[in-house]
Amino acid sequence: MSLHAHHITAGHHPGTPVLTDVTLTIPAGSIVGLTGPSGSGKTTLARVLTGLHTPQQGDVTLDDELLFTAAPGAVAMLFQSPRQAVTGRWTLGRIIAEPLHGRRGRADTVRAAAARVGLTGDLLARRPHQVSDGQLQRACLARALVQRPRYLICDEMTSMLDPATTAALTTVITEETRSGLGVLAISHHHGLLEVWADHVIAWA
Amino acid sequence: MPNLRRPHAHLWAVAVLTAIAVFALAVPMLTGADPRLTDFAAAYQGPSSSHWFGTDPAGRDLFVRTAAGLRVSLVIAAVCAVTSAVLGLAVGVAAGALGGWVDRTVMRLVDGINALPHLLLGIVIVALYPGNLAAIVASIALTHWTQVARIARAEVRAARSATYIEAARLSGATRTRVTVTHLVPAAAGQGIVAVILLLPHAIWHESTLSFLGLGLPPDQASLGTLLQDARAAVLTGAWWTLLFPAAALVITTLAVAAAGAALRDRITPPLPERAIR
Amino acid sequence: MTIPALTLDGLTVRIPTASGTVHAASEVDLTLRAGQVHALVGESGCGKSVVGAAICGLLPTAATVSGGIALHRPGSADVHLEAARPRTWRKIRGRRIAWIPQSAATYLTPVRTVGEQLAETCRHLDSPHTPAVLLTRVGLEPTVAGLYPHELSGGMAQRAAIAFALAGDPQVIVADEPTSNLDPELTDHTLRLLRAAADAGAAVLLISHDLDTLPAHTDRVAVMYASRIVETGPTADVFADPWHPYTRDLLAALPSGGLHPIPGMPPVLTDLPGDCVYHQRRPAPGFSGGPTHIAQHGDRSVRRLIGAAS
Repeated sequence: MSLHAHHITAGHHPGTPVLTDVTLTIPAGSIVGLTGPSGSGKTTLARVLTGLHTPQQGDVTLDDELLFTAAPGAVAMLFQSPRQAVTGRWTLGRIIAEPLHGRRGRADTVRAAAARVGLTGDLLARRPHQVSDGQLQRACLARALVQRPRYLICDEMTSMLDPATTAALTTVITEETRSGLGVLAISHHHGLLEVWADHVIAWA
Repeated sequence: MPNLRRPHAHLWAVAVLTAIAVFALAVPMLTGADPRLTDFAAAYQGPSSSHWFGTDPAGRDLFVRTAAGLRVSLVIAAVCAVTSAVLGLAVGVAAGALGGWVDRTVMRLVDGINALPHLLLGIVIVALYPGNLAAIVASIALTHWTQVARIARAEVRAARSATYIEAARLSGATRTRVTVTHLVPAAAGQGIVAVILLLPHAIWHESTLSFLGLGLPPDQASLGTLLQDARAAVLTGAWWTLLFPAAALVITTLAVAAAGAALRDRITPPLPERAIR
Repeated sequence: MTIPALTLDGLTVRIPTASGTVHAASEVDLTLRAGQVHALVGESGCGKSVVGAAICGLLPTAATVSGGIALHRPGSADVHLEAARPRTWRKIRGRRIAWIPQSAATYLTPVRTVGEQLAETCRHLDSPHTPAVLLTRVGLEPTVAGLYPHELSGGMAQRAAIAFALAGDPQVIVADEPTSNLDPELTDHTLRLLRAAADAGAAVLLISHDLDTLPAHTDRVAVMYASRIVETGPTADVFADPWHPYTRDLLAALPSGGLHPIPGMPPVLTDLPGDCVYHQRRPAPGFSGGPTHIAQHGDRSVRRLIGAAS
């Protein structure tokens, strides 16, 4: 059971690919760290693994089936800038509830997810412009958890966060891997990945 | 975000608009007077206790006529608003969301309509159907919806490439769901503001057509016909024939513009409160 | 002992908002010395950016400031900035106190090249340096002067921001989270540039939450929690032997400390009670839970309860 990128060649312009023949596996229940200099294609790989970007060559399989045939929402992502990843007009509660698409029992699920990431109830009624980046990233993690994904891609999710929030979020994600979540953690913070990830891939 | 220097500006605008609407709707109903009723014996009288706004050269009471004229203008504005909103939002969101050749074709059409001087277009339409109120309304509505379409499309295009749209897609939302829950609200906010801000222009447009003699027939009250009557009458010293219709026009357009600006301020996504870090 | 360039004495900043009064800074004492890089750290929302903004006169107009901000220069009188008028600030900003913002590219006008804007700054500040010299000093090619802000990478923009700050040869440089989005190599380079500026005589205040990088590049550190300074001292000493429970917990949250999360979240700064509130989050006997004061021991200080044993 893994999220597997198979000989991916991808880029934004046909002639100059950012990734060339890249193969990478994220086993379920583990955290794979990925680090490398800016421009090496880490974010492009993240977008290919989530299905946001179509590679020129190669494919992605999720638990041995092709990604685009898998259930929607099986792969979730945490972005570097939480402020751009949320709708400015919605309250945090509504943002976290988005993956539930109006199913029943929403309020309880949202509150439980918020509690796991350390967001108190009164913050759920606030809007993004009234909370800090750290609190917003917690809300984004809660939103990802509510979705119950099988794999989570973290694309530099801690770069705007202070150490205490980083520790809080990484702890929650580690707990989730015990239930089978597979994680790809992209970060240029080697020290963090060495302590947090199960194994680290360093691109030159 | 609220205008911190004049936080209650919108309340004044809304209050004035409410007063105008009451005036325009209630007066003709309550007095039961016919704005076209002439009484040559009472012609050219200044404001008095029996004729609050005075009378015009044909002896018609200007208080009632101004109210009736305002009502015509407000009706035209309302119809124009609804048409522009529906047509503009639908076309703008579709063009922005679908992209590709749909977007290109639609926007060429919009650009084409915008390129024509709209007053000229309006004159052509009313010349073909003289005296027809529906033609007048159509001539205004059909020339103003394009501004809304442009703004709606721009908002949708900006939203489409936003990270939060990608996040929504990743959370399992279908494209339809993303369009309905994210793109349409993004367009609607600024779209509604665009609709409100074009209303003063629509009101002015009708007044101009009537003033030029191309709109409503002279005996029907509209702000434009009242102003046309005032053209000649004011030279004989009947200042009240010009003052009241002109004041009504100016106050209405200013109030609508202020309300629109206040609405735009309120719905613009707020900037992060000067972040305390 | 180097000379003090800027002294904060009981700086207290209150900002009224629709939801209450924000206690952005409370009784902050800080001394910046020429030739030193002084770090100011804390979680997001603790008020450290507000301290930087107060020093540069960039607070919102509604903010009320009490306490003292004194800019010193040997041979002339101190300039008191806490109540300075705009005319005074015009002479101080850029010339004697410079600001390096966090997301540098957004602070540049998008329709003019970097070189044009830098030349304008140099002209306005009567700078002895030329744009080319400043760009080289921060490690950028002189050809960067012909680029527009959107053509700069994050690291280049940050270096350009430092060039702008150095144009006026300021006495005091406040850098607000200059490395938060940069990779380790650029972070290192940026911090070394700040160190070079300090070596050239400036007093540098580095506001950051990137704690791992601090021992190698800063001389002193001040730790802030919920608008109050809780500990100060030489960086290496504080990191090796933290006194205040919050400093200890913050260091334990770092990967090098074991990635131990601090339970709960920092308090919102609106309408804070009148003293240190860390005890509401973690037990802090002797340090929080009643009236506190700053206890000075040599070149280190820590906030503890009045009357508690040392």
